[in-house]
Amino acid sequence: MNKLLNVSSSPHVRSRLSTGSVMYDVILALMPATFFGVYRHGLDALIVIAMSVISAVMTEFVFDYVAKRPNTVKDGSAVVTGLLLALCLPAHVPLYVPYLGSLFAILFAKCLFGGLGHNFMNPALSGRCFLLIAFSGIVADFSVDGVSMATPLEQLAAGETVNLVNAFLGFGNGVIGCSTAALMLGGLYLWVVSGITFEIPVAIFVSCSAFLALFGGHGFDPAFILLHLVSGGIMMGAFFMATDPVTSPVTSTGQLLYGTLIGILCGIFRVYGSAADSVSYAIIISNMVVPLIDEISVPVPYGLRSQEKKEFPKSALILCAITLIAGVCLSGVFELTEDTIAEQQMAANIASYQEVCPEAVDFSYDDGISAAVEALDGEIYGTDFGKAYINEVVVGSDASGNVVGYVISATSGDGFDGNITMSVGISTDGTVNAIAFTEINETAGMGMLCAEDNFKSQFSGVNTTKFTLNKAGNSTAEDEIDSVSGASTTSGAVVNAVNAALDFFAANVK
Amino acid sequence: MYKKTFIGGVHPNDGKEYARNIPYQEFLPKGDLVFPLNQHIGKPAKPVVEKGDEVRMGQVIAEADGFVSANIASSCSGKVKAIEKRRTVAGTVVPCIVIENDGQYTPADGVGIETNPDTLTNQEILSRIQAAGIVGLGGAGFPTHVKLAPKNPEEIQYVIANGAECEPYITCDDQLMRTHPEEIVTGLKIMLKLFPAAEGVVLIEENKPEAIAAMEKACSGESKVRVHPVHTKYPQGGERSIISVIAGKHLKLGMLPADAGCVVDNVATVRAIYRAVCKSEPVMERGFTVSGDAVKNPCNLIVKIGTSFSEVLEAAGGIKDGMEAQKALCGGPMMGIAMASLNVPICKNNNALTVLSVDEVAEAEKKMTSCLRCGRCNQVCPLGLTPQMMAVAAEKKNYERFEKKLYGMECIACGSCTYTCPAKRPLMQLFKQAKAEIMAARRK
Repeated sequence: MNKLLNVSSSPHVRSRLSTGSVMYDVILALMPATFFGVYRHGLDALIVIAMSVISAVMTEFVFDYVAKRPNTVKDGSAVVTGLLLALCLPAHVPLYVPYLGSLFAILFAKCLFGGLGHNFMNPALSGRCFLLIAFSGIVADFSVDGVSMATPLEQLAAGETVNLVNAFLGFGNGVIGCSTAALMLGGLYLWVVSGITFEIPVAIFVSCSAFLALFGGHGFDPAFILLHLVSGGIMMGAFFMATDPVTSPVTSTGQLLYGTLIGILCGIFRVYGSAADSVSYAIIISNMVVPLIDEISVPVPYGLRSQEKKEFPKSALILCAITLIAGVCLSGVFELTEDTIAEQQMAANIASYQEVCPEAVDFSYDDGISAAVEALDGEIYGTDFGKAYINEVVVGSDASGNVVGYVISATSGDGFDGNITMSVGISTDGTVNAIAFTEINETAGMGMLCAEDNFKSQFSGVNTTKFTLNKAGNSTAEDEIDSVSGASTTSGAVVNAVNAALDFFAANVK
Repeated sequence: MYKKTFIGGVHPNDGKEYARNIPYQEFLPKGDLVFPLNQHIGKPAKPVVEKGDEVRMGQVIAEADGFVSANIASSCSGKVKAIEKRRTVAGTVVPCIVIENDGQYTPADGVGIETNPDTLTNQEILSRIQAAGIVGLGGAGFPTHVKLAPKNPEEIQYVIANGAECEPYITCDDQLMRTHPEEIVTGLKIMLKLFPAAEGVVLIEENKPEAIAAMEKACSGESKVRVHPVHTKYPQGGERSIISVIAGKHLKLGMLPADAGCVVDNVATVRAIYRAVCKSEPVMERGFTVSGDAVKNPCNLIVKIGTSFSEVLEAAGGIKDGMEAQKALCGGPMMGIAMASLNVPICKNNNALTVLSVDEVAEAEKKMTSCLRCGRCNQVCPLGLTPQMMAVAAEKKNYERFEKKLYGMECIACGSCTYTCPAKRPLMQLFKQAKAEIMAARRK
């Protein structure tokens, strides 16, 4: 024993935990949701997951190689990012979507900021938000067996009833990892192995529920609140995204404040904004406030607590103020954009008025006709036109003030994908000048063909009280309309709306 | 209010299975005995012998220099070989008295005379403790006669004998409580005489059921002394953890246990008080554990103060065949000091030699990653500090922030944060360095 032994600062033993084991725990915790996703969505889901994980790992590997940095792939964090991102995608997306998403997540959100531990934003979530912006149509398309269907949250936003149990188990529509039950199981596991603390998820659930109860428009309705909690990625967000250690506060107080901020933002986005991605954006915005939260939530050591008790309420007040200001700003932004949206809508309306009533140079309301529209009270118009509505009627006049025609805005709720709204231009003698669409979101290549001139022009110059739809597409009579092939639902909805407009014209204007 | 544990803490592998059931054996050294003059907190003692003097076992060879200092007694009989600078456990070179052991252990006059403590006044008890050179034998080495003379003796509510022994591998206090419970209880009762309002508590972790049973038996029939079993968790044996459990109060930097109405002494110190008061015996020997996975025969020994670490390792059979020692620690793996060489003497406050075949710190350095900000260090800190932020401040040498905003000077260096860190960050090392630099700046 004459050689010199190693010396170092105490402690001389270390726990078995390592960065790798922490990541492995997260992967393990995601397994129930992954397996359920593959079971529910089939092989496609597995391929998307594999693509996403491989892309994430490869990106990190290549970056480390090119940047001549130590290879960090083996710490497992890239696998976690890839897996998390895949679980946030629909199963039936083209493979370049998970590829690009993971590439963005790893390269831009993580590696360029210095790698694991230095990113200020959750990589998986930034990847998802990138995809939402770049490929919004694809990423938000939740079709099952080729049939496009609304997610539980969309149904909820539309005021429809949703099966709570189905949504909880994950049999509703949604992304690969949409099983709330499986995600909760994973979250519970992570909590047991101290991978996450209870503060963040609990604060999110409580604050979001409270916000929805206060401002959700349903009062304290447990079923409504529960539905919100089990759908739209709150579970994924609360257990796996918000709790990402790198981008969440380190202290218990900080975590409570951070969770509360996420919950409230999420509530604001859901009630006043677009429901679908409320959680993603709430977390990303909160990620950016984390350094500030850390700074104001430094705990006072136990031994000094009694002397400096004032510390906590002060920091809590600061954060409440921040949350409030952020909330007000965000709702302000929404209010502003809402007006802009309305203005754009109006401009689009006038353009379509002129399109269908070309002789007119000025459009105005006629009090008598508008009163008749108001008398409809926004209810479905008539009984023969399906879910048709009359929105407004404007009178078109020429330069000298003579009435040259009318424009009736009509909507059909029978579209394949939401409402179809159109302006129907009718001359003073009841001849249809033309129709133009102001709102139509039908299936590309099928229902959307109704918006093309081939279909629209069939209405022009016809003087009738009622059009009929010819599904065979071989009409001979002037008042017969050829259906767009493969889109009889959309075609029928348009014909019904035009007929409703003609009926209203005959009854109230002529 | 019966509390079982404190906030925070970790559960390292306690390694106690190596030596916990090995009874004490007396170990008599063959080589020279070396007595560093600063085996305690406070001023170093002043030698009262000269080179060539004959000394006897128990004879005071260095006297306390002032109140906060302690006597040092020879633990053998023989001749003073030298008074010179020698290397000690921490690696520093300090003045030491070297005694050539004659192997006779002839006691000095007056050592071993039995006295009934009831016949002594409080002042006499304190002066006997002071004369015996008792310091905190658990590790701190704070002179006990100073600790037992607080400003407010009548306000002390608890006199606590610390038998937690939360440091992994060490089992000498466990054996002491099993074999000499009545001496500990008597020592505690002597201390209680100094503090009329106080209650005696023996605090033991639940992983020592035999010790708990033995102490409970010794306490039965005593009205003012009780046993307080607590959960096994590191650092339960820390003064602040104990006070938070027993008195429900948290100390802060600069506060003494007495400010919270507590006096805390290691069970070995309590027993030394009994020996000093009732047997007129100075601190000459102590219970000592030699353990670790690289030791051939882990054991608990009664060693003479001044014995070299290398001799006690030989007494434990040396290194296990086919193994190579990577690390030798004075104390346990959590707070022990890594020694470069074993040719240094055992001081009063050294309780164990732990020899490990794996240098986990070197292994951890290879696995180190960036901080994940997972916050586990905050959760385990028994003081409620934020090691994660402290480490960032210490790395940037932002000592202003380390000290003022993050309360870094409160750190007791228990190492729980460093033990638990998944990213294997060298937190403790950063904190020790930051604290040392802040202290150095203050002295300027």
